[in-house]
Amino acid sequence: MPVLEGRQEDIEKICAKYPPENRRSALLPVLWMVQEKEGWVSQDSMREVADVVGVTAAEVYEVVSFYTMFQQKPTGRHHIAFCQTLSCAVCGAYEAIAYICEKYNVPKHGPSEDGRFSIEAVECIGACTEAPAMLVGETLHGNLTPERIDEILSNCE
Amino acid sequence: MPVDTFDKVYLPNIEENKTEWLQDYLKGGGYDGSKKALEMAPETIINVVKDSGLRGRGGAGFPTGVKWGFLPKDVHPRYLTVNADESEPGTCKDRPLMEQRPHTLIDGCIATCLAIEAEAAYIYIRGEYYKSAKVMQQAIDEAYEAGFLGDNIFGSGKKVDVYVHRGAGAYICGEETALLTSLEGYRGYPRLKPPFPAVSGLYGKPTIINNVETIISVPFILTKGADWFKSYVHERSTGLRLYSVSGHVKKPGVLELPMTVTLREMIYDYCGGIRNDHDVKFVIPGGSSVPWLLPHQLDTVMSMEGVNAAGSFLGSAAVMVLDHTVCPVWAVTNLSAFYRHESCGQCTPCREGSAWMHKILMRIENGGATMADLETLESIAGTGKPNTGMISGKSICALGDASAWPVGSAIQCFRDEFVKHIEEGGCSYRNKRFWMSGDKFVNETAEHHPRWH
Repeated sequence: MPVLEGRQEDIEKICAKYPPENRRSALLPVLWMVQEKEGWVSQDSMREVADVVGVTAAEVYEVVSFYTMFQQKPTGRHHIAFCQTLSCAVCGAYEAIAYICEKYNVPKHGPSEDGRFSIEAVECIGACTEAPAMLVGETLHGNLTPERIDEILSNCE
Repeated sequence: MPVDTFDKVYLPNIEENKTEWLQDYLKGGGYDGSKKALEMAPETIINVVKDSGLRGRGGAGFPTGVKWGFLPKDVHPRYLTVNADESEPGTCKDRPLMEQRPHTLIDGCIATCLAIEAEAAYIYIRGEYYKSAKVMQQAIDEAYEAGFLGDNIFGSGKKVDVYVHRGAGAYICGEETALLTSLEGYRGYPRLKPPFPAVSGLYGKPTIINNVETIISVPFILTKGADWFKSYVHERSTGLRLYSVSGHVKKPGVLELPMTVTLREMIYDYCGGIRNDHDVKFVIPGGSSVPWLLPHQLDTVMSMEGVNAAGSFLGSAAVMVLDHTVCPVWAVTNLSAFYRHESCGQCTPCREGSAWMHKILMRIENGGATMADLETLESIAGTGKPNTGMISGKSICALGDASAWPVGSAIQCFRDEFVKHIEEGGCSYRNKRFWMSGDKFVNETAEHHPRWH
């Protein structure tokens, strides 16, 4: 089933934000639309996005492969993006990542066996004053300790 | 905690972390900046901003009013682009601004659009800031509903539209021309300048790009006056500034202070000192890209001129404080990994140089490096000053410089520690445990997942 089926109105609303001759500006927003629904951007969806925005599938892939937040493989139901840049690193980010991987059985590639979590060590997420910090799905969590991490992740089904 | 003798304007209640929605903003005289701007001629607004001495808060510190004055006469349409791609490690002031003061930012967008005669503003928000984007969109919807945005703002017959555009995880898109390329739907590659965006920017049209904090300053300047803004002054740095203080201070956070504050006051008076009362090892005063400061430089005044005099840059005013448990080689290896990952790959010196530096640094940190490695590293990175080494000044945008400066500066500051690492076959710091677990995590994934360096 095509991922953008029935979304024509939303897509045109996005495109209307940009001058008509610059429809390509809608590429990132439409890709976000796909990822929000599917959790990742498959090659089939890239072809669909290409048709909708009016570019080639290769051009869509070119863009998807540049931006690190677009997932090219399925993620867990809850995708964890843990910051590993300096401010978080000096506040224990690496230990926290190791803690999550071990305690919640999250492998370093792809989702856990039950499909519940996937994890990625990412660069600065702009929460340096609340280090260490992570995004779980769309929600930012800062000032993490093992207890806080357990509290947050145990609420993720 | 010192008693502040000034009124905070940007984030007076940052601790509460509450969004100021339209009704609350109007109670405090909201949208007065835009209303005032509507009564003024565009040149007058630009002159007031010039007079205030406001300089870009994103990092480069270019005088805002002067930038606006670069627009070619009578060329339309023009665009305003608000840079909310805050990605410089250490910086996290635009996020609370957008999440707590969305209407002040819209107020600033309207006033700026009136000044530069633009009818559309795009706020480019980094992908990781889900909440900021949601809050901004909701506030924009409120403003349209109230008739403050659209084809007839405040019934004046003038048109201003404000749109949110989300990035998707790329540090480089904070570079102004890369931001434009990204907004146009391409990979975020920076463009050669000139032509500057003021002449040929978004869709090839004259475009002004300003940081969130810069734009949000505009309504304050218009309502309180350029003289109020100038009353906070250190040399050519005017106004209050948002400092993001992170790392090993007891109370990290976003501080709103006049630029007369010293680094020592910031750390010990405002942030409660260093955790466990440790000693300061080094401080990164303006985001991860800038040269480091050492403990003997703690009396540096945190204005653009003050930090320049100490040999570094105020940049985005992101102050990272590291205590004596931190190995400087480990720290710069971490930063080097960041730049290696974030280099867009367009220019050879930056793409190859950032990876080369990181590889050598890993060798020094983990053992197996020789003195020849250190010499090679110095020849690539330079001395932490502009246009030294093989990268700085040799790439289209400043990411190349940003990758080299911390490395060059780290060697300048702590050469003996680099030598010790080489002689002892690796790092002997207490915090090695951070690196060992992290390194293992990172290395295992490198071959399979190129996004994890």
